[in-house]
Amino acid sequence: MGWVGRSIRRVEDPTLLCGAGMFVGDIGGAAAVRFVRSPVASGRIRAVRGPAYTIADLDADGVGNIEAVLHRPDYVRLAQPLLARERVRYVGEPVAVVVGATAAEAEDLAEQVELDIESLPAAVGLEAALDPDAPLVHPDEAESNVMVAGEMATPELAGALERAHVIVELEILSGRQAALPLEARGSHAVTERFGGRTTLHASIQAPHMIRTVICDLLGMPEADLRVVAPDVGGAFGQKLPLAREDAVVVWLSRRLGRPVAWIEDRSENLMASWHSREQRYRLRAGFNAAAHLEALEADVVANVGAWPCYPITWGVEPLMALAELPGPYTLEHYGVRSRGVASHTCPMSPYRGVSRPVITLALERLMDIAAARLGVDPVEIRRRNLQSDFPHISPTGLRHDEGTYREAMELAVSHVDMGAFRARQDAARAAGGPQPGIGICTFSERTGYGTPAFAARAMGVTPGFENVELSMDPSGYVTLRIGASPHGQGLETALSQIVADEVGTDPGRVRVVASDTDRTPYGWGSFASRAMVLAGGATYLAAQKLATQLGSLAAEVLEAAADDIVLADGRATVAGTSVGVDIAELARIAHHHTQRLPTGTMPGLSEQAGYDPAGTFSNACHVAEVDVDPDTGGVSMRRFVVVEDAGRLINPMIADGQIRGGVAQGIANALLEEVVYDEDGNILTTSLMDYLPPTIAEIPNIEILHLETASDATITGAKGLGEGGTIGAPAAVLNAVNDALAHLGVELNEMPATPERVRAAVRAAACGDSPGDTDRSTQEAAVR
Amino acid sequence: MKPARFAYTAPDTVEGTLDALDRFGDEAKVLSGGQSLVPMMNFRLARPEVIVDIGRVSGLDGMSVSNGTLTVGARVVHSRLEAPTVSTPDGRSESLGGVLGSLLPVVARFVGHLPIRVRGTFGGSIAHADPAAEWCILARTLDAEMVALRQGGERTIPAADFFETVFTTALAAEELLVAVRLPILGEDWRAGFCEFSRRAGDFAVVAAMTAVRLEPATGAIAEARIGVGGVAGVPVRLPAAEAMLVGETPGAGLHAAAAEAAAGEVDPVGDLHGSAAYRRDLVRAMVARSLAQGAGASG
Repeated sequence: MGWVGRSIRRVEDPTLLCGAGMFVGDIGGAAAVRFVRSPVASGRIRAVRGPAYTIADLDADGVGNIEAVLHRPDYVRLAQPLLARERVRYVGEPVAVVVGATAAEAEDLAEQVELDIESLPAAVGLEAALDPDAPLVHPDEAESNVMVAGEMATPELAGALERAHVIVELEILSGRQAALPLEARGSHAVTERFGGRTTLHASIQAPHMIRTVICDLLGMPEADLRVVAPDVGGAFGQKLPLAREDAVVVWLSRRLGRPVAWIEDRSENLMASWHSREQRYRLRAGFNAAAHLEALEADVVANVGAWPCYPITWGVEPLMALAELPGPYTLEHYGVRSRGVASHTCPMSPYRGVSRPVITLALERLMDIAAARLGVDPVEIRRRNLQSDFPHISPTGLRHDEGTYREAMELAVSHVDMGAFRARQDAARAAGGPQPGIGICTFSERTGYGTPAFAARAMGVTPGFENVELSMDPSGYVTLRIGASPHGQGLETALSQIVADEVGTDPGRVRVVASDTDRTPYGWGSFASRAMVLAGGATYLAAQKLATQLGSLAAEVLEAAADDIVLADGRATVAGTSVGVDIAELARIAHHHTQRLPTGTMPGLSEQAGYDPAGTFSNACHVAEVDVDPDTGGVSMRRFVVVEDAGRLINPMIADGQIRGGVAQGIANALLEEVVYDEDGNILTTSLMDYLPPTIAEIPNIEILHLETASDATITGAKGLGEGGTIGAPAAVLNAVNDALAHLGVELNEMPATPERVRAAVRAAACGDSPGDTDRSTQEAAVR
Repeated sequence: MKPARFAYTAPDTVEGTLDALDRFGDEAKVLSGGQSLVPMMNFRLARPEVIVDIGRVSGLDGMSVSNGTLTVGARVVHSRLEAPTVSTPDGRSESLGGVLGSLLPVVARFVGHLPIRVRGTFGGSIAHADPAAEWCILARTLDAEMVALRQGGERTIPAADFFETVFTTALAAEELLVAVRLPILGEDWRAGFCEFSRRAGDFAVVAAMTAVRLEPATGAIAEARIGVGGVAGVPVRLPAAEAMLVGETPGAGLHAAAAEAAAGEVDPVGDLHGSAAYRRDLVRAMVARSLAQGAGASG
């Protein structure tokens, strides 16, 4: 029996669970760096006084600007300084930097720095920034706040909408969120006194890419910068882009010749790290009489903050919405305009799922509203619209490989026992009090995409491939060096299972080296649900090559044909016989007795491989059950069911852990977490008393079932699943909240569905002016 | 998130504490469980020059009953009120029964999370005077008395005078809160406590406590108290809603009417966690439920 597919324990855990992890903050021995941040959303810097470094010092050293580039029309290209130059554009923007002996002293120093800033009008929210008279965030470079825009339509869209039996219109709003890793950001840099080489330890997701961009900014060869991501306490996309602060820390260590460290605190992380997903979608959808979605027209706006993120750019959210909005449905006619609008707020980065949680919320609310309007069951309308012929090519040209959209939904629905739920719901409606609701969400998750997908985005750099190096040492243990940069996902364990099966050894004899530019091949890191597919694929290929090498060696030693050698359980055996040799002995021979190898054989045992696929779609169905208190607007989660198809599961326990964590973040997005600014651009949510991640009390037990479609789109059969939980949960929860209150005429299409919003929707429905007011007939026609 | 520089002293005795407070006056801040003060210092929202840590002071963590009054020592931690016990005159410990004995555990479980409840103190919460804090609402609703010492003197401050505004009390800089006296509520009382918070363990958006005394003969309400937190700078009593209850017999209709009056009587200011209108809705729901809870407890 092989190792792949087994839920072996994670090799990462003993260290982490025993508190023996080594995070950036554990390194120590460095002076403390503190950034002095703008207290105003928009302003002109008149002077900075005090014991601080400013952009003038960076300029004097010839430090460059960050340029996050998309090669496309309707994209505003900017040069972003590492510290604010002349203007500040959001509360929390780094203006100056101080260095103190301790973190407390650095804070004292920062307080002594006087920022003389002339305050200017600010554009804060989505609507404010879109206003034609809005203050401009980049007045010298752009004539409006629209920084990136895309538009497309299939030829027959207008006609298809005209022919539609029913038109459903709706507006979806998503509040601004923060990824909120348990460990905030941080960096620690040491420059060698002789030779001048710098080592940066930073809490990041893509060490090689970060090395390249920092070296470009500081004008230094990459060979002189070692970048290490030690243990990283969660990232979720927030640690993918270059942090300006990390580049400044490297600069400071080289300028001062002493070790320096910046350990971001929670307030900084909430105020000045990256945010995400402040979006508005307006949909106009045409259904035929058989409840099939024929045509969809969308207008999408994303608040992209004050600056782009490198290298992803501020196109990532609006352009993903443009490309992926058709979702898992067999929609033919599609048109969309999508814009990224700058504002005087914290910049945005990808966060687990990027735009997909909002895309999915929009589509799944659309399906439920259309179902009610057409008198069709929510399950039935999805049944009629989900893809089932593969490959399916979307209206934007995305190729969906084989999936189980319908099968996953049917399994989820039968698992929850919809009939029993409806009986309970009817009883509760008669009794009053908390109202049960159930919500379904079906979705696809685009994962594991390599260079071709990124090339289509036309970024200034094109991420994609992953390379690995695999070697067996004389003791017979295997070392795998990867360019991916795992940070808690369990990738080391899963990759060791792949190696063990191919090489015929035990996962306990595999060591994975990652996240250190000195010790690993160039790679793009861990993000976008890609590492298992890409690093896993490269590992599989390298392990096969190493197995071939071991097979040839064994054939030589055992005087048998290489094709007859079987590697298993630490031995190389001649098939059908008991003749064999320990793999560890072969490893000795390969290094210590190379005279036994045929002439011309390369000594040692090492291989490398790369993998760069086009990508694959995972799919899932989420079902949420909630209780909604109409008097308080409070929502409590009762049950959550996930049916996931991520292809072949390398380690099901790890897959389930990814799903559970993702669902928890999705529930948080649906009900609790929201970054809030006042209209002057002051951020109000800078502590965990105000920005509200869930506690374990808010998250129900999450029941997980799997389907395993062996996709031919990846070499291991595995699809990615890192983001799926977060993508599906908000729509399932919002649909459940709406279902719970449907008898009251409530329609709520905004997340998070805070108690106040839910209560306001109940009140509005009671007053007869619900958000779905134009569709009163919709509510009355709602039948199940 | 590191505090500004401060001096630290940790007296062993009440006398030593009063001495330190007398010496440092406004510059000093008393540290008890530290569950509110320390975060505020780390945010540099509080910048005391001197911390007077009373963690080593003995004699402040007792609970006892006499003359119908429960005296709770200032350093009694929240978790002890989840299963309150009192010392008897002969030195034994027995669980606190009666209406207050049943009510305290209900309220205590709303106070923060377990790690907060095992370190944070009853007196610390009262002296900190967060307007949504459970113990402050309870103290105001039950007309508790705060016992404050200073060098050479002791005074008792009624709850109505004690809470002045957000995080501000009638305690003078030289005074130390040493105990709080609560009425134990006789068997003719019915009390309830309901709270709405965003997450388990959060401060309440709105919390309500109700207590009514019934005429044994008629079952009608002889005396009523409604205290609400989260609608003003201090926990408030709602006399108009209270007056509606007096003379009436408890029941769903009466509770709903009183809750409606309560919602009309408060004048909340909206903030991030709830607008004024929403808080009024919550007052209505929490008061109605608290009254129902009390009535249910009676049957």
